Amino acid sequence: MTVSNAGVTAPPGRAPSDPKRSPGRSGTRTAATGKSLRERDKSGYLFVAPFAVATGLFLLLPTLYGLWMSFTNQSLTGTGSEFIGFANYAEAFSDPQVWQTLWHTVWFTVLSTIPLVVVALVMALLVHTGLPGQWVWRMSFFAPYLLTSAVVSALSSWLFQPDIGLLDTWFAALGLQPVGWLTDENVAMFSIAAVTVWWTVGFNFLLYLAALQGIPQQQYEAATIDGAGGWRRLFSITLPQLRTITGVIVVLQLLASLKVFDQIYLLTAGGPNGSTRPILEYVYDTGFTNYRLGYASAISYVFFALILVFALVRLLPSRKEA
Amino acid sequence: MSRARSLLGSSGGLSRRDVLRAALVGAGGIALGGALAGCATPSAAGAGKTSVMVWDLFSGGDGALMQEMAGAVAAANPDIGVETTTLAWGPPYYTKLAMASSGGRPPEAAVMHMSRLAGYAPGGLLEPFDLDALAELGITEADFAPAVWEKAQFEGQLYALPLDTHPYIAFHNPDIVQQAGLAGADGKLDLSAVAGADKFLEAGRAMAEVTGETGVSWGYQRDPAGCWRMFWGLYSQNGGGYELTPGRPAQLDETAATEVFEFLQEMVDGKVAAKNQDGNAASGRFMSNRTGLMFAGEWDLPMFRDANPDVGATPFPAVFDTPANYADSHAFVLPKQGTPNPAKREATYRVLAGLLKEGLTWASAGHIPAYQPIVKEPAYQELTPQRDYAPAAEIAVFDPDAWFTGGGSDFQTRMADAMTDTLAGKAPARTAVTRMLSEMDRFLSQPNPA
Repeated sequence: MTVSNAGVTAPPGRAPSDPKRSPGRSGTRTAATGKSLRERDKSGYLFVAPFAVATGLFLLLPTLYGLWMSFTNQSLTGTGSEFIGFANYAEAFSDPQVWQTLWHTVWFTVLSTIPLVVVALVMALLVHTGLPGQWVWRMSFFAPYLLTSAVVSALSSWLFQPDIGLLDTWFAALGLQPVGWLTDENVAMFSIAAVTVWWTVGFNFLLYLAALQGIPQQQYEAATIDGAGGWRRLFSITLPQLRTITGVIVVLQLLASLKVFDQIYLLTAGGPNGSTRPILEYVYDTGFTNYRLGYASAISYVFFALILVFALVRLLPSRKEA
Repeated sequence: MSRARSLLGSSGGLSRRDVLRAALVGAGGIALGGALAGCATPSAAGAGKTSVMVWDLFSGGDGALMQEMAGAVAAANPDIGVETTTLAWGPPYYTKLAMASSGGRPPEAAVMHMSRLAGYAPGGLLEPFDLDALAELGITEADFAPAVWEKAQFEGQLYALPLDTHPYIAFHNPDIVQQAGLAGADGKLDLSAVAGADKFLEAGRAMAEVTGETGVSWGYQRDPAGCWRMFWGLYSQNGGGYELTPGRPAQLDETAATEVFEFLQEMVDGKVAAKNQDGNAASGRFMSNRTGLMFAGEWDLPMFRDANPDVGATPFPAVFDTPANYADSHAFVLPKQGTPNPAKREATYRVLAGLLKEGLTWASAGHIPAYQPIVKEPAYQELTPQRDYAPAAEIAVFDPDAWFTGGGSDFQTRMADAMTDTLAGKAPARTAVTRMLSEMDRFLSQPNPA
């Protein structure tokens, strides 16, 4: 520890007799190394430096550059980097497509988040109650999550294919009318949400299962001695104990669903009649297909601000709880 | 191999770890296979050679033919290495091309739809061709159809070297056409039997009688390009003109456009053509003899011929009065180089000239070569059914001229969206026209980003 410290923090001899250090802080020394907390803080920076550099280069700088671009009429073709003030933002707020696609994103989030939480919980509870062959269940529920969005979209595209798809063929065999799974405006978003649930529910399921396994067994034993039945134990012990993880899952899920793009782009490309186009696809279409990077950045920032507000609102009550 | 042994040899049956391991190995194999299949095809780019990179968008059967042509050109020019890279067609292709150009390190040449030229050439993403250099390689204006040559110009300079014309045509199944009484003396579809909206619909019903299902295949769901090609071709047949001037409201002949949608609504009635069909379903039904006629691009010829060697093809039936057939054109362009290299440039011209002259190979994919000396060759004249639909090139109508139109553009997607409700029978024919005009206005009010 001392050796590596000396090698990294410069200069080694300076630390104990640093005149700038406040006397109060220098008193707090850790037992293990005999060095002050502040000293350890400094070496900490070095340990996080690689990550900080990567984050700065690939997250912070592009984010700031994107912010700058949103105030220009930058085009993908390299022209137009003049500052045009808030013109892009003014256009975004008056562009009906922005609000329509934003609504599609929100609608998808509602349609996907609720089952992704509820179904995951139910699956975790069922597996946890001790179905035989636990690992088979765990793996089969989680396996779809390992697929890429392209594979999931290709598979479901065959299922949903109009006219000759698997689902419509079964429907026809049962004497039912074919459904425009991906081609009917009233159905397409539900189909996409269903695919998304099948695909990603495994992750939430794992989180719930881990939380379930973390509930102390004594609580159940005590309740059983007191005469509590299975349902009573579920509602009075299991579910309350899962409150924290549910909060985490809901937030993670909301953020994931708001970012929806891949499966919609691959399955319907935003159709039919633009009824499934999420706001991120509008950003993509505007910036990369129509080459208006400046305007696309402005829309992204409007969306970013909304998510940020949402995340902060969520943070407030959790602070109080803590 | 060791995985397989552990799977078979474990005493207590399958353990979870074994299954996971096997799955991982399997997935790795698939990933590796995919990576290898995705490689570019360098036709021997070795040391001492000038390498010329050509991007193309031929992800269908024609991609293999383009590589065959590149191989032939490389063999004829031992000092040049030709590297063709096939990228998926669609909006992302044009994103990649624009980004590569603006980044200063694009391929030496690329294939583009001529319909996209209006959006690319003014933005400085492309370099014009040097006519003298082309003439030295035996390629002159006289070798191309005047309309196509004209289309390749921007501000008096040649920005695109036309490779082909690819019309949106009608394929037919000769057996079904004969049984429906629509065949001529040669046993192929008699175009006069499907001329005029009423006769066409009647013919569709007659073919539906024969197949017991529907008569015509048209996949329009989830296919913006298919919707647009159909509309623009029929609209031109109906004598419709347009005015798309930035900053001004879009103008269409609304009556003519409405008539087109009335016809299409009648066609997708579940009898003449299926109500809810996408491209895969449409071609699937056509190839399994469940429809007699299919609207598709001629580039689908290799696929249809695999299913039925006798498949027939004609220009688009004359549903309305003006002879017109929707088409686009593949052309070679020269993306602007960050650091121009005269040696590479010279090699690029030779490669492109060589590829044009390999047009006969290209024609076997279904495309009509733009280089007329090929079209006049007896060997081309003998290709069937290519020669049957070759007249489509003479009445070709291209996309409207505006920076935002063309193959793989957002414009086509938005136009198809505007048609959705009308084609599904949920809105009157007129609604599609109104919505298209309002979408066109939106494009016209936006600045040209190039």
